[in-house]
Formats: sequence, C-alpha cells, structure tokens
Amino acid sequence: MIIEDTLPVLLSRLDFAWITSLHILWTPVTIGMSWLLFFLEIAWLKTGNEHWYRLQRFFEKLFIVNFGAGVATGVTMEMAFGILYGPFSQAVGPFFGNILGFETITAFMYEAGFIGLMIFGWGKIGKGMHAFSTFNVALSSSLSAMWILVANGWMQSPTGVVLKDGLFQVTNWWQAIFNPNFNIGFPHMWVATVELALFFFAAVSAWFILKNRQANLFTKLLKPTLLALIIITPLQIFIGDELGREVAHDQPTSLAAMEGHFHTYLPDGKPNTSWNLIAIPDVSAGKNLFSIQIPHVLSLLETHTWDGVVTGMDHFAPNDRPNVWVPFYAFRVMVTIGFFLFFMALWGNWLRLRGKLTAEHLRKNPLFLRLMVFSGFLPYLAVWTGWWTREIGRQPWVVYNLMRTWQGVSHMSVTAESFWLIGYIIFELMVWGGAWYFFTRVIQKGPDMTSPVIGASDHDAHPSGGGIAKPTFAKPTMNKLN
Amino acid sequence: MHEIFRIHSTLSTFWWILLGVFFVIYIVLDGADLGAGVFSLLLNNENDRAAVMSSMAGTWDANETWLVVAGGVIFGAFPLVYGSTFNYLMIPLMFALWGIISRAVAFEFHVHAQSSRKFWGFMFGLGSLVAALFAGIALGATLLGFQMNTGNAQGIQVANDPFVNTVPHFSGNALSFLSAFSIWTGIGALIAGGLAGTLYLCARFEQDDPIYLKAHKSATLFSFLALAAVVITLIWSYAIMPDAAQWTGSGWFGWLILLIAILISAYKMMSNHAAHRDFAALLWCGAIVLFMWGGMWATNFPYIIPQTWTISQGGNPANDLAILTLFMTGFVPVMITYNVYQIWVFRKRITHLAGYESH
Repeated sequence: MIIEDTLPVLLSRLDFAWITSLHILWTPVTIGMSWLLFFLEIAWLKTGNEHWYRLQRFFEKLFIVNFGAGVATGVTMEMAFGILYGPFSQAVGPFFGNILGFETITAFMYEAGFIGLMIFGWGKIGKGMHAFSTFNVALSSSLSAMWILVANGWMQSPTGVVLKDGLFQVTNWWQAIFNPNFNIGFPHMWVATVELALFFFAAVSAWFILKNRQANLFTKLLKPTLLALIIITPLQIFIGDELGREVAHDQPTSLAAMEGHFHTYLPDGKPNTSWNLIAIPDVSAGKNLFSIQIPHVLSLLETHTWDGVVTGMDHFAPNDRPNVWVPFYAFRVMVTIGFFLFFMALWGNWLRLRGKLTAEHLRKNPLFLRLMVFSGFLPYLAVWTGWWTREIGRQPWVVYNLMRTWQGVSHMSVTAESFWLIGYIIFELMVWGGAWYFFTRVIQKGPDMTSPVIGASDHDAHPSGGGIAKPTFAKPTMNKLN
Repeated sequence: MHEIFRIHSTLSTFWWILLGVFFVIYIVLDGADLGAGVFSLLLNNENDRAAVMSSMAGTWDANETWLVVAGGVIFGAFPLVYGSTFNYLMIPLMFALWGIISRAVAFEFHVHAQSSRKFWGFMFGLGSLVAALFAGIALGATLLGFQMNTGNAQGIQVANDPFVNTVPHFSGNALSFLSAFSIWTGIGALIAGGLAGTLYLCARFEQDDPIYLKAHKSATLFSFLALAAVVITLIWSYAIMPDAAQWTGSGWFGWLILLIAILISAYKMMSNHAAHRDFAALLWCGAIVLFMWGGMWATNFPYIIPQTWTISQGGNPANDLAILTLFMTGFVPVMITYNVYQIWVFRKRITHLAGYESH
C-alpha cells in the first residue's frame, strides 16, 4: 500500500490515464461512424437517392476532423507503453508486444492505407473502389479495437502465460488471445463505439431539426438511426451485465470495488446479497460509512441466483485492494447512461409508431429533440467512466494478480513525469478545443446541397446512380512525371 | 537446446532486417512530408502553405504510420529493447510526438479555419520541424547507447520480486540523451528532411508553378548542405563509435563500395534535379537513404542498439518470434501494395491554386 501510493507511481499512472482518456474521445467515432458512413454510401449506390450521398459527405467532414486527432494521440499511446511503463513492456513483451505488433501491421497501417482514398479519393477512383475503401477503413478500425482489447483484456485476466526469467512467456496462444475478459470486453467496447456513433448521428440530426435547417433530410436519417438504436442500446446493457459477471468471476477485487461490496458474509453468517445503490466507502476501515442497500440484488446480478455468494473486499489482503470511490461511482454513472440511452431509443421509436416522427411534430414538442442533442454527449461520458472503472478496479495490479503497477513503472524522475503531464495537458486540450471548435463550425455550415454529385455526369454511370463510374480524374503518364 | 538458440537468432535477425526496411520506408516517405512542412515555413503566403498541405493530404497519414509499424515491430519482436530505449528517449520522443500531434490536427483544422488559419498553418510547419529535429536527436542518442541496470526501475527494493535481477532496465536520467552528437544528428535530420521535402515538392507541383520554382532552388541548396552533413556525420561517427572502426578494418573494400554507391546516388540525384527530372531525383534521394541506413544497420551488427542490446539479447523468446513471423510476414507485401496504390492515385502534379480549394 505504501509503495503503491508513492508520488512517482501515482504520477506515472496519472500520465498514462490522461493520454488514454483523451485518446478514447476520438477512436469510438472513427470505429463506429466508419461503418455508418459505409452504410450511407451503400444506400446511395443502391437507391441512387442523392440525400444519402449528401449526408455521407457531411458526416465524413466531421469524421475527418475527428480522425486526425485520433491518429496523433494514438501514435502517442503506442510509444507511451515503452516510455512510461518500460519494465512492464519488457515483462509482457512476449505476449502484449506481439499483440501490439499485430495491431500496427494488420490494423493501424491497414486503416491508414485506405483513409486517404476514402476522404480524398472522391472522383479520383471509381465509386465501387471508393465504397471498398470506406469498408476497409471500417473493418481495419474495428480490427484495431479488437487487438487493443485482446491486450487490455489479457491484463485483466492473464491466461495462457507463465512467468519465466522475468518475462511472461506464452504457453498457449489461443488461451492468451481469447482470454475470458476479452471475449466479453471486446463486444462491450465495439458495441459502445457503434452506440456512440449512432447517438452522434441522432444528436446532430436533432439539432438540425430543432433549428429547422434541412429538417426533412435529417428526419430521414433519424428514422433508421433510431431503429438501429432500439437493437443496440438493450444489447449493450445485456453485454455489460455479462461483463460484470465475468469480472465477478475473474477479478473479484474489481467487482467488490465497483459495487462497494466489503463483506462477503453478514455478521450472522449468511451471504451478503445486498446491492448498494449509493454509498460512502471507507477502504482503510474496510466498510461503507453509509449506504442504501437493496437485498438480493447483488446476488441476482452477479450469480443470477437469489442467495449466491459474491466475494467481498474482506476476502483480500489490504494491500491487494483497489480504490473504491472511483470504480463505484464511475460504474453507476455508466449504467445510468446506458439505461437513459435505452429510454431515448424507446421514446423515439414510440413516436415513430404513432406517426409523430416528422419534422413538424418533433418541433412542436421539442423536448425529445433537446434531450437527443444532450444524449449525443452521454456515450462519451459512459466510455470514460467505463474505462475508469476497468482500469482503477484492476489496481494495484498492472497485470492482474501477477505484476503490480509499481513494478512496471519506468525509471523516471518526478520532474520528468510532471513535465510530461503538463505538456500533454496543454497539447491534448488544444486538440480537444480545436476539434470541438471545428465540429461546431462544420455543423453550423451544414451539409453541402449544391455541389454536383461526384460521378453524376459520367455517361457510363448506372442510371440509378449506382454501379462503378469511371473516374473523372485525368490520368497523367509517367513521362510527365519524369 | 543448441537448435533452439539458432532458431532464435535467425528469427530475431530476420525481424531486425525487416525493422530496417520499415525505417527506410518511413524515412523516405515521411521524411519528405516533414521536410515539405519545414519548407512551408519559408513560404509567406497562407494559400501556398495550404497547397503544400493538400499535396500530401491523401498520403501523409499512411506515410507517418510506417513509424508506428516500426514501433510495433520493436515492441513485438524486441520488447526488451522497446521497454528500455523508449524510457531512455522519453524527452526527445515526447517533443517529436507533440510535433506529430500539432501537425496531424493542423491538417484537419486548416481547411475549415478562417480566423485561425494562420495559426494552424504555422502549427503544421512548426510541428513538422519539431518532429524531424527530435526524431534526429533520438536517432543520434540511440546510436550512442545508454546505461542499464537490473533491479527495480523505481529503485524500490522488495524481497522475492520476480521481475528484478533478470531483465535490465534503463537506469540513466531524463537528460542522458543529450549530447553534442545527438544535437548534431537532429540538425542533420532537418537538413536531410529539407532536401527530401523540396525534392518531393518538385515532383508534386507543375513545373511552371511558383512553389515549384521556389522548391527547386531550395533543393539545390539543401543538396550541398546535405552532402556536407553526411561527411561530418561519417567522420564524427568514426571518431566516437567503437563499431565504426570496422570501416577501415579488413572488410574495408565492402564499405568503400557502399560509399561509392552513396556518392553515385548523390550525383544522379543532383544531375536529375538540375535537368528537372523531378521524380527520378526523388528516387535517387531514396536510394541514398537506403544505402546510408543499410550501412548504419550493418555497422551496428550484431547490436540492435550499439554497445547496449544485441539483436538476440533484445529479441523475444523463440516461440513468440515464430508466431510473429508466421502471422505477420505475409502482411508486409500486402501493406506495401495498398500503400503503393494509394500513392499512385494521388500522383498527379498540382499547382499553388490547390491552396484555394478545400482539399
């Protein structure tokens, strides 16, 4: 406990927490929205309806503002393991390093190899090739999320390795890659990116309908978005519950922290089945100073039985216990948001069923639209609080039960760590502020409804707008290059 | 046991060569982009700067990502090197990353900016300069090696710690990277970047365009500067680096051939440049990078970090290297193919007017 709380260790954690938290602001949009852009493009190619094209090009602008920030902060992430957690990187290298290597080769580069074509290739490559590029960006960014969750999931539930000569050497690749936490953690994260992107669409659409600008166009987008959300939002709650049970099984200290669950058994010897709605935890005393409890709920949630035993904090040595405040409240914020977003999806589809999902009706009673604009921000907060729960819940371990965080920290002075932190606070806030400012600018400008549709004048284009058009771009010859 | 060691050293050497290839690709491609960014600071018209940015709009991200691939390969194949060298290079990498961040967001923001257009244009140039300078410093510092120690990196002693006394960690301080040589290699990287960047701009702009004319003149100047920088770096390296003694050892003939190949490439680059065969000049510049990096890699053998980590000491256990080799090698030609396609799509020469459009 004393070593864990020394200033260099805490600062190194803060250094990493800051760059990670500011990185996760960008990547979910890239991952989730690239699929939505692909669907919009396909809708345009299949139906020939220009509206889908206009929407695709509009959201693509927001996508690319977001993209640069995501890549730049992602390069930082890749190097930060070695910089801030050198001994950790060395020890986990045989598995974790390999996985990060897989990620750069099969995902990071794959995405970079098609993003230029997707954004700047309009009119320079055929429509089919363009749609293919968008698809590749979507697939590669999802692959990237998968590898990162393999690596992080393994830190939560490190299977398939033995510790030998100071290194975690892999004995079973299958078990290490498909570690128990990854199997549910990755779906949870991937669905989160799709949910976030869908709410991004819905919030921007709601804003335009509120402002009565291109209101019909954005109502047209709102309908399929809400339909997707009625599937995605409850699915995410279901997967989240599964992940909670997985954590209860493989990472009991983390679950105990998330739920403020200090006592495995009640004083009378019966299992403590109570779930804390809210609490004032006191880790050093090993109990809650105050809590509102609901009996049996915790057992129902984690074991799906009425009286199942859920391991509490008292089962573990004091120096193996994580902080409780952050996981407990961050988890509650995330869950609340999850249910609120489900409610928004229900409300929207209910309006649609009653035929009230039209621009006129929505504006007459603007509460739904206003809450939908607000809901655009909530998934970001849910992603943050979810990751804080996950990462702080794993403490004091960096590799759960095998390597303590302080054992993985690099050789750094407090001055160097502070310099890093202050510098990254300045730079990441600049990125954040800049991206926010340009998001609002692009949104205020609205979709471009007048420029000619790319490839529309091509004589060999399919009459419905679909098919592969020849690029209008004049091909230079090699002679001219030389 | 003996066989296993042989497999281990074969696989780690294979990844060491591949790593060298990735670095060469990165330096050739992103060196040009960064150099063009540095050059853009010399342009006083914001639209001209925008034209420079739009010349690489579709390719800069992929070019930069070769660095990430190189980093991923170091982590994947040589994690012991990764965990200690990056710790050693904390300060220069931090500045280089800030440069990369500034430059990346400037690309996306500049198009949409009105009142802040000048600021983002400047951040693009400054970010390129800082990234190139500190990448060069990091390279020079790496060539000099660093101190390592076993024991806990934070200096905390605990009984029965399974991680200490086996793997050596970096044990210097945050400023260990700083030396006259590493500062010089930083300046050298700026000069080399300036040359590659201006040659690249010559190949990307119409030959009667004002930006072309300016870049063409600068490239000539940079090529003389670069030649001088190469000579200084070689002499300096020979004087201070133990491994460089082999240049005049029994294998001097091979090194002489390499030097001649570099000089011929430099001559071809300059003559093609003078004759306005811009693409050929750019390719010869790439050949110089290939020969010089290859020479450096060969000089360091069997070290991956001179006097610090040998290739096989720094490599992963044989089993992990085998997995990396089996699953990732096939992707290398695939990566190169789609990158070539993307660059091919954006090969057309542009004019300074590109700065007026939203790219």
